[in-house]
Amino acid sequence: MELERISVVLRPRESREALDLGAAMLRANAGAVWLAWFAFSVPLFVLCNALGLLLGLPWLGLLLVWWLKPLFDRVPLYVLSRAVFDRAPRWRESLRGQRALPWGPTMAGLSWLRIDSHRALRLPLELLEGAPRRQRVARWKVLRRKLVGEASLLAWGCLQFELVLFLSAWLLALWLLPQEWRPASFADFFRHEVHGAATAWTLAASAVDYLAMSVIEPLYVACGFALYLNRRTELEAWDIDLAFRRLRARLQDLGKLLCLLLCLGLPLAGHAATPTPKAAPVSTPQQVFRQPLDDGDQRFAAAAAQVYRDPRFGGERHVRRWELKYASRPAQPVNMGMAPLRLLSGVLNALLWLALAAAVAALAWFAWRWSGGLREQSPLPSFEAKLSTTVDATPEALPRDVAGAARELWQAQRRREALALLYRGCAERIAQQLQLPFAVDATEADWLRHATALDDPARTRRVAAIVRTWQFAAYAGRYPDQVAFERLLDGWPLQPEAAA
Amino acid sequence: MLDSVREIETPEGISLRLRAVGPLPRAQAWMIDTVIRLVLLMLGMAPLSLLGTGGRGVAMLLMFALLWAYWVICELWLDGQSLGKRALGLRVVNLDGTPVTWLPSVTRNLLRVVDALPGVYGVGLASTLVDPCARRLGDIVAGTMVVYAKELPIGHQVPAAPAQPLPVPLAPEEQAALVDFAERADRLTPQRQEELANLLEPLTGCRDTAAVRRLLGYANSLLGRP
Repeated sequence: MELERISVVLRPRESREALDLGAAMLRANAGAVWLAWFAFSVPLFVLCNALGLLLGLPWLGLLLVWWLKPLFDRVPLYVLSRAVFDRAPRWRESLRGQRALPWGPTMAGLSWLRIDSHRALRLPLELLEGAPRRQRVARWKVLRRKLVGEASLLAWGCLQFELVLFLSAWLLALWLLPQEWRPASFADFFRHEVHGAATAWTLAASAVDYLAMSVIEPLYVACGFALYLNRRTELEAWDIDLAFRRLRARLQDLGKLLCLLLCLGLPLAGHAATPTPKAAPVSTPQQVFRQPLDDGDQRFAAAAAQVYRDPRFGGERHVRRWELKYASRPAQPVNMGMAPLRLLSGVLNALLWLALAAAVAALAWFAWRWSGGLREQSPLPSFEAKLSTTVDATPEALPRDVAGAARELWQAQRRREALALLYRGCAERIAQQLQLPFAVDATEADWLRHATALDDPARTRRVAAIVRTWQFAAYAGRYPDQVAFERLLDGWPLQPEAAA
Repeated sequence: MLDSVREIETPEGISLRLRAVGPLPRAQAWMIDTVIRLVLLMLGMAPLSLLGTGGRGVAMLLMFALLWAYWVICELWLDGQSLGKRALGLRVVNLDGTPVTWLPSVTRNLLRVVDALPGVYGVGLASTLVDPCARRLGDIVAGTMVVYAKELPIGHQVPAAPAQPLPVPLAPEEQAALVDFAERADRLTPQRQEELANLLEPLTGCRDTAAVRRLLGYANSLLGRP
């Protein structure tokens, strides 16, 4: 075995992936494998079935062909092993090569090891390595350690695949039969037709099974072989071995070349005999990124310049020609059938223009409305006006006796005006007290804030009570009762002399 | 050189390796999926059968969903992995290695009908055996393939050793082989380690244990260790 000539990519794989490598190997060498397979197995198939017929036991052919599988396995294994490490052999070579493979393991496989789910893995070990028995057992122990599960799954999978192909052939045949040829029921079919022509059906089953086996058995062997290769790659690092061999060959060639150069150079120049060790190339960023123009770059630049000189790729061109200022309109072909359509399109066109006009008009109206056309009609100012009239109903200047005027208004059922007067009087008094300018736009909150500046907390509380009462009346329509109103009129701020 | 890898080069010059999954692991994954779906169907059928005709109708809907929607839903929501594929570490991707989207997923699963002909997946099996990427007809039409989702098994840590500079510059593959050797050395027998190291006598200039130690030193220096 020469590892250098191997034709598959060696790399560490999962064992499941190794199965796929087996399929790939089989696909690549399909012709050689199946030619040899059929050359080897068709005579045996015919022989087995003939024996069955002669003995009057047609099922024997089916059984014998199945039983001989380990024998058939030798052929694809031989072809694949040669194809992987050398080249695919011709079918005659494959048949002749069977003599080189040991027969002992095959005999074991045909007798007590016939039902063995690890056969695919055992085959390459026993047939290709050809080690003596004791060594083989030790190697098998090492080899199988991680592969038992995969090998069993492989055997089951291939069994299923064979079954699938077998059933597929029968089902396809059933589908292709014309309706009137089909049996009325399966029970009928097996009771009468199969029973009636048992030999013919058994032979057909045998043939179909043989074909299904022919497809799957080489796959089984190839997958087992791939598992074996993968395990040995893992155990013995074949991929590293290959890489090292390549490196060694390169280094040796390099050494030979150096020797040759030295031998040639020695008589010519004395100082060349002591070769200075070549310093490792030191690369600076300048060298890497800003390479000086070397000869290759200059050639490239020259070629690029040449290309740009070509008028098709670069340069400017001035073109002068006459063109019509107003392009003539091509004559419209007159088509009478188009008249209703044209009418329709005209109507639609008009509708679109109308829609546009409506949109513009609507926009203009909105603009006018928002810019001030609506200011007079706004409901808000009218409410303001009403409020102001009620407030303005009180005399412009405050009466001297605010409390008395307020009580009069209250008793005249003009409670709102009474409270407004009260509030105004209160505000005026605060302004007087604090010597503030009386601000027309001061709000209730402003007066409350001013009230906190008074030095007497009791006064502050009274101002707060008046302002609150006024706010409740003005904004919520909630009026105090008679007693509460009278209490507001007592004391400061409305009766200064009493408070003082 | 034979391999089951589909190699794609991106415009950036990065080569992606999609490791195609062959018929045997795919059949295993399908088997797991089928068992899961059967169990789900049984679990759904048991209470539904108590509900009379309406229950039977719902059971039919459940069966329909398990037959058709199961695959698409799994592939879209579980990163291209049905439960069986997830168990085996397989994944459906587009041919360019991108995650499978809903249109290819629907296509490949609708075409299951063709692959399942004549009732036992005979067409699908033949297609996976013939195609180099082991695609069934649905995959070929939808432009998808099934790949191994798990990373390759990696070696152990490189054992620490005093770094030694390489005497001659090496190509990247050769450097990678040296590091590989250091990573996997502890899984090889000492004899095999020495055998491999002896191959590189022109590089190391020594043999046997010394050569192994020197190669480990080279690997450490390649990894940038002191």
